[in-house]
Amino acid sequence: MKRRQFLAGAASTVAASSVAGRAQAQAPVTIRWWYHFDNPQHSPAELVAKFERENPGIKVQAESVPWGGGNDYYTRLFAALVAGNAPDCAMVKLNNQARLLEMRALEPLDARLASWSGRGDIPDNIWTLTKATDGKQYFLPVQYVVLYLYYRTDLFQRANVAPPRTFEQFLAAAKATTSGDVWGFGMRGGAGGHDHWASFVLAGGASFDKGGMVSAQALAANRWFVDLARTHKVFPPSAANDGFRQIVDNFKAGRSAMTIHHIGSANEMVGALGDKVSAVPVPRAADGRGWTSFGDESNAVFAGSRNKDAAFRWIAFLSTGANNVEFNRFTGQLTVTKSGAAGWSLHPKRFVDATFDSVPIAAVLPDHSKTADFTRTVWPQNMQRALLGQIGADEMMQAIEKHFHG
Amino acid sequence: MTRQLPAWRRLLGTELPVLLILVFGLAPYIWMVLSSIKPTIELTRLPLTYWPNAATLQHYADLLARTSFATNLANSLIVALGAMLLGLVLSIPAAYAFSRFRFPGRRVLLVTFLVVNMFPIVLLIIPLFVLMRSLGLLDTYGALILGHGTFAIPFAVWMLTSYMNGIPVELDEAAMIDGCSRLQIIMRVVLPLAAPGIVTTGIYIFITSWNEYLYSMMLSGHEVRTVTVALQLFIGEFTIQWGLLTAGGTLVALPVTILFLFVQRRLVGGLTAGAVKS
Amino acid sequence: MTLNRLTPYAMLAPAVLVTAAIIFVPVGRTLVLSLHDAVLFRPHAVPFVGFRNYGRALADEVFWISAGHSLTWVVLAVSLQFLLGFVTALLLHRSFWWRGVARALVVIPWALPSVIIGLMWTWMYDFNLGVLNDALVRFGLIDKPIAWLANPDLALYAVILTLTWQGFPFFAVVILAGLQAIPAELYEAADIDGANAWQRLRYVTIPSLAGVMATALLLRTIWVANSLDVILVMTGGGPGLATHTLPLYAFLRAYSGMEFGYGAALAVLLTLALLAVVVAYVARAVREAGQ
Repeated sequence: MKRRQFLAGAASTVAASSVAGRAQAQAPVTIRWWYHFDNPQHSPAELVAKFERENPGIKVQAESVPWGGGNDYYTRLFAALVAGNAPDCAMVKLNNQARLLEMRALEPLDARLASWSGRGDIPDNIWTLTKATDGKQYFLPVQYVVLYLYYRTDLFQRANVAPPRTFEQFLAAAKATTSGDVWGFGMRGGAGGHDHWASFVLAGGASFDKGGMVSAQALAANRWFVDLARTHKVFPPSAANDGFRQIVDNFKAGRSAMTIHHIGSANEMVGALGDKVSAVPVPRAADGRGWTSFGDESNAVFAGSRNKDAAFRWIAFLSTGANNVEFNRFTGQLTVTKSGAAGWSLHPKRFVDATFDSVPIAAVLPDHSKTADFTRTVWPQNMQRALLGQIGADEMMQAIEKHFHG
Repeated sequence: MTRQLPAWRRLLGTELPVLLILVFGLAPYIWMVLSSIKPTIELTRLPLTYWPNAATLQHYADLLARTSFATNLANSLIVALGAMLLGLVLSIPAAYAFSRFRFPGRRVLLVTFLVVNMFPIVLLIIPLFVLMRSLGLLDTYGALILGHGTFAIPFAVWMLTSYMNGIPVELDEAAMIDGCSRLQIIMRVVLPLAAPGIVTTGIYIFITSWNEYLYSMMLSGHEVRTVTVALQLFIGEFTIQWGLLTAGGTLVALPVTILFLFVQRRLVGGLTAGAVKS
Repeated sequence: MTLNRLTPYAMLAPAVLVTAAIIFVPVGRTLVLSLHDAVLFRPHAVPFVGFRNYGRALADEVFWISAGHSLTWVVLAVSLQFLLGFVTALLLHRSFWWRGVARALVVIPWALPSVIIGLMWTWMYDFNLGVLNDALVRFGLIDKPIAWLANPDLALYAVILTLTWQGFPFFAVVILAGLQAIPAELYEAADIDGANAWQRLRYVTIPSLAGVMATALLLRTIWVANSLDVILVMTGGGPGLATHTLPLYAFLRAYSGMEFGYGAALAVLLTLALLAVVVAYVARAVREAGQ
């Protein structure tokens, strides 16, 4: 009895002193974090230094991994997870959350987030969008973009059309601005272009539920979209293969009057076109329904990490106020924090407005293990074939339905 | 054996066609070099400018000062040289054995080397990753040199065997009669005559290693980053750093070209002339 | 000189051992995986399914389309590389004052990483900003730009041109090395017989080069059949399925779809197809080498 009390007393004394001096008393832990920045000239070294000053006892080893269209980054990550060599935390996207969950690779962060002071600084709908299907929060958002519609103010003025709000207005504007070697809409048909299609077809009534791609509404919406290319010819001939670079370059070069992209390219556009470019949210269907892609990026902690708390501290640091603003200076995307957004000066205001105005209709593709394959292979192949007339529009939807629901 | 033709025939019959072939071979490279000295704004402007309006070396400055490109070039050089040495050191004796000896299992082994070549090695990325991890070699020069050198061996063995088959066995026998050991035969007779073949095989291994991306990306991290991975880092999710990419692309071809400039002198004919009195 | 019966094995051992460890073992593992339903993000549930992956592959429409493209791809790319490389080698064998520089420069296409080649050529083929369209329009050869990589009839051939550009230096260098080994006496004898340049080529050069050329063709065929880097960067297999080749399809299923078992089965089928194609050559070569 006495001994137990003594031990308990000793333990609590030790615990008390160690809480106070934990940082100094323990050997420094090193956590590994994987990231990908678009511009390798930007280095997170300063942020790392700042974090290490504020958290003596934690060292951060940041490793940049080539993106390779997403394939290389995730092949490396999954291989490392399988081989037991994964980092403690890494930048991750929603389209791989389902797969990571199936591997039981992620650490749920709910408990740690509840006691984190920065939680309230991130808008609720962003938390909702990044929550997993099992209701837990594994992802800590660090940046976001929302896709909106770029348009050429001068071409629109000349053709006497206003920036479109509905699909019908969109068709009219596209036809009015197509002439010679300028096309109304620079559509992205290569991998990653499903966002363009989704804005018209998902908003038009299709869904990823069972039967949702082959309902009457869905088929009609997709036929309308394919007709833009085949009947109205408002897409450039290269659309079937165009990637993000092509649609941005074509727009900058004056070859398309509209395209869909996000604030990451805004400065580039303004650099080339100045006042002749502006943006509005993507058009909506006649019944008011709209859909645009929420481009997410978050950090996650892996279940196999031996320093989960330290890893969480680091990723929480990156999503806090001024740090998050600094982080997004490197990535060119938008801060997730409300405090950071208040004084945002990295992009011209009209694009920030277009982004915020789009958030109500921002959504993500379903958190399904087949989604990644859909975006990478199933959608591009079928879309390209439909655009080229090799298969009918309805066949395309049937292929998508088959991919998800067999 | 080269013959001296009159100058005008040489010009038309040899130098002009070579020039045309070089134009075809170098045009994309020259386009890249020109792009690397254009300011970023010119790179996506219409109408196209061939010659830069305002040439600038800023991309090279950024590349060398603000990224780790120079270190990556050095890493690639080390890995490629290492792979070349490893590949040659292992393949030359093997090729000699295949060429000069007849022994049980010879055909099986030759065919196995060939069949192994046929397997798309991109499927081996993950098993190899796991293997290197268990050997503790991840993110070291060893992993890459071992990987690149080994993948080159089957090709190298076949190519060297083929070149060595072209050296008459009589030369070996003559040397043996003169009292040379097997090792001396290899060093003094076969290797010098097989020099063009060895040069070619060595260059092949070097270039294959220099160009290699997938394994370099998987097996190395931030300690040992090769130049192919570094270039890929300029291709981001939303943007491509064209200036850095074209500058890097220009530089990446230079070490191989310079290396080949030196070794191509060994590609000289007439070495077997008169060696065997027929 | 004592002929140790173990000598050849001793000389072979290092190469065989290293290759066994680094290649055979992973290949073996992949073969085993092809018999399982192996999905990368389900590492704990890998049931044995026998040959089901192979059955699925043979019934897969995309498999056959890819196989057809692979055939076109290999035949065209290798022949064009070979022809251009052969001519280049003959030319670079002659003597002129800037021969060294020419030889060094011709290596450049071969020396560039695939990602650079893919990006540069994609840029050159670009519909709006590409030099190819710009130059062709300026010279009046076409009146509107062509979407080289977005047109399913042209895309495969456009990439084949890129691969020809990339690969002809290989043949140039290999054949050039082979040319050095041709004894001068053979040419002298031909001269005495009054042969002209064409006959010298046909009766001396080509027969002497036969072994080297055949090996180079064989090895290059295998390499081209398996190559996917450049296509991946340039078109990713599109538009639609127009530039799908077997290795690319295997790669996409294995890494994008993460269906490792299925991708492995596709790779094995590709290997068997290659084997069938080269078996005639291999049998002949091994027989000849055995003499």
